[in-house]
Amino acid sequence: MSHAEVGSLARLEMRGIKKHYGAIQANDGIDLTVMAGRIVGLLGENGSGKSTLMKVLFGMVKPDSGTILFKGQELCNHTPRDAINAGIGMIHQHFMLVDAMTVLENVMLGWKRTGLRVQRNQIAQEIRQTSATYGLDLEPKAVVGDLPFGHRQRVEIVKALLRGADLLILDEPTSNLSPPEINSLLDVLRRIAKQGRGVIFITHKLGEVFDLCEEVVVLRDGKVAGKSLIAGATRRELAHMMVGRDVSSGLERTDRKAGPEVLVVRQLTLRDSSGRERLRDINFSLREGEILAVAGVDGNGQTDLVDTLAGLKIPSAGAVTMDGREITRATVANRLRSGLGYIPVDRATTSLVPGMTIGENIGLRDFDHPPYRRGICLDRRVFREQARAKIARFGILARDPDTPVQTLSGGNQQKVVLAREIGREPRVLIAFQATWGLDPGATRFVIDQVIATRNRGGAVLYISSELDEVLMVGDRVGVMSNGRLLGVVPRDEVDLGQIGLMMAGGCDDLATPSTN
Amino acid sequence: MAPTDQPANLTEAAVIRSDHKMSDFWRRLALAGLAILLSLLFGAVAIFVSGKNPVLAYWSLLKGAFGSVDSIAFALNKSTPYILTGVGVALCFRARVINIGGEGQIAVGGIAASWVALNASDLPGFCLIPLAILAGSVAGAAWAAIPAAMRLTRGVHEVLGTLLLNFVGLLMVSEVLHGPMGEVGAGFPQSPLFPEQAWLPALVPGTDLHIGIILAVLAVFACHFAFWRTPFGFRLRLVGSSEAAAAYAGVTFARTVAGVMLLAGALAGVAGAIEVLGVHYRLIQGFSVGFGFNAVAIALLASLNPIAVLPAGLFFGFLEAGALAMQREIGVPSSLVYVIQGLTMVFVLCAIGISWRQQRI
Repeated sequence: MSHAEVGSLARLEMRGIKKHYGAIQANDGIDLTVMAGRIVGLLGENGSGKSTLMKVLFGMVKPDSGTILFKGQELCNHTPRDAINAGIGMIHQHFMLVDAMTVLENVMLGWKRTGLRVQRNQIAQEIRQTSATYGLDLEPKAVVGDLPFGHRQRVEIVKALLRGADLLILDEPTSNLSPPEINSLLDVLRRIAKQGRGVIFITHKLGEVFDLCEEVVVLRDGKVAGKSLIAGATRRELAHMMVGRDVSSGLERTDRKAGPEVLVVRQLTLRDSSGRERLRDINFSLREGEILAVAGVDGNGQTDLVDTLAGLKIPSAGAVTMDGREITRATVANRLRSGLGYIPVDRATTSLVPGMTIGENIGLRDFDHPPYRRGICLDRRVFREQARAKIARFGILARDPDTPVQTLSGGNQQKVVLAREIGREPRVLIAFQATWGLDPGATRFVIDQVIATRNRGGAVLYISSELDEVLMVGDRVGVMSNGRLLGVVPRDEVDLGQIGLMMAGGCDDLATPSTN
Repeated sequence: MAPTDQPANLTEAAVIRSDHKMSDFWRRLALAGLAILLSLLFGAVAIFVSGKNPVLAYWSLLKGAFGSVDSIAFALNKSTPYILTGVGVALCFRARVINIGGEGQIAVGGIAASWVALNASDLPGFCLIPLAILAGSVAGAAWAAIPAAMRLTRGVHEVLGTLLLNFVGLLMVSEVLHGPMGEVGAGFPQSPLFPEQAWLPALVPGTDLHIGIILAVLAVFACHFAFWRTPFGFRLRLVGSSEAAAAYAGVTFARTVAGVMLLAGALAGVAGAIEVLGVHYRLIQGFSVGFGFNAVAIALLASLNPIAVLPAGLFFGFLEAGALAMQREIGVPSSLVYVIQGLTMVFVLCAIGISWRQQRI
């Protein structure tokens, strides 16, 4: 597809953008063109380079090479303030608003035009006008903290528009919105485009791209995997561009017949304090000697699922049974005792206490029981002995058990977690993003340990946003999307296109009213 | 993981470790010494400006603190409530519970101990004194239980709860002294003198030094042990370093917070009981004023390390005893005494603050 003839009308032209972080090439020669009045979808998985590209554009990150032309002028070495002044508006996924202030005050905050003598009434009037033009339904005097989520986002949009944004970037704008809120956001964006402004809509949801965008650029591994006008594209095609890879495992795994069911989850539902459903009717079972691997883009309910299973959140409905005993509302300690191991994603604040020693971290979840506890005392010798044994068995690079965990590398820290959770030979192991932030060697170690647990007869739930890992590890594979667990199938029946569609919310008719 | 990166990693770990354990202690000590020196220097300037001779003033401070058996006894008695209350506060702060209610807890502990001493006066001393101290600790714990419950059930921050209950506690002392426990015709809000068998026995015969300091030292060692060697202490350390990690480890946040608040309240209550039974031999108005906040300063001075509360509390006690002597003998105004105390605190805290981040948890 050639855009040469419209190049002169282009609001934005990014050419050959490259940016690396360490050994990772986050952007590897990306081109992006946005024309006036056009809505361009930027589609890709986690880590495909979408965010980096937008940070480069907005001046938050300096590219290694490449040029940016905006309205015919070159943007180079610019700061976010320069970008705003040039007419670029960015709506971040996490809003930059002060909850305790009114809409008006938030709009004025940090805006030069507000000047020394604050022109409240005039700006309030402008907010009302803009709000009416684009159907935003915003009252300047409302306190932001009282507004529903969708309206807070509109405050950000008003902020950008009043500051004269000709190009609006929205980073995953629908991830926290309810379906009706999504629909009205899409309406607002259409009106904005109609006024001749450009919009870049970053998402991983195919449905929204088809609903809203006129063209789409798909990123994968820091490169443009393909671009297309929506009119000529199919969902399957785009899903394949986004995911496109072979299921080459390169991993030696023995075939193992799964045993009886160990963990059974029925109709699990979780609502947050505002009544929104974070988990919707989740059903699955784990069998002895089997790994159920779950793919999905971050923020689709994975955290809620593992926290609910681990006993850190109490479900609103449904039942969880382990070996026939109901544990839906059991305490963390009870779950531990019945053999439920859990590897959370966050090493810094959850699975480890960085200031404590290796020994104390090994005993972190068992300190209240023998052998760690003897009478009213903690037996420090046992902490050390256990740690010494684990250091040897899991190859943790540390001199002795009294080393504080914070002095270890990320890979060795994760080994401490594995040593504790896998070392207890769990009946059920929940591993959530267990390879997050690890180098390839450490990643491989973690995966090998998980598979060893399965070979020993453990039942494993392996959740990751790295599709490669999920496909490599799972005996059965499913996808989390919008709080639901979809399409669990055995590994040899996996259909990549189908998985891509599910990850992109293409199978979720509730979240995205489909037009294709 | 290539085997070749092992040696490099190990040396790095070893360096961090030796740095962590050995030199850290001496560096902290040197910094603390420097801080005390600086505060004395600034204090000297202040004394000089007020028209007194700083050398003489400091000589009398030294004599007042260490000059005689009596002055040492006085300073040790001064230190006792600081140490008891300070060690409780240190444990609370370790669990990130900001308990600044020591003053109120001391006041209420004092009331309860006084009530026992006055009303069970036919008991022999070996029953009466433990009973009175026990009453003090129970009352202190109960007083601390109120802000703990407010925090855990209603989400009222404990800073607010403990602070406000300080005023209530102080006024309650006034109230009982103007009512049921007041001495008739005394002209000052105070209770009648306790019967002699309720007085804390002297530790060194012929001096004012009472057995309170023994209790304080025992409490410090018990808290040190509890903090580092028991499941209770492990829970405190977990809750203090990360609530998420504590929940993950199966530790109940509410139980832990309630537990440490009650413990700190009980210790402050004992401090109150010791003040009335060992120093005043009666309940008097305002006997607890300032103790609670000084205890917070002492806990911070000790880097929230239970065992270090002992030297920190002694330092404070001796400084105060010396400063009072300085005021008495040289006529240095009493406000200047507080200035010197405050300066010392500021300098010492600055010195400690530098090394706080590497602290062991």
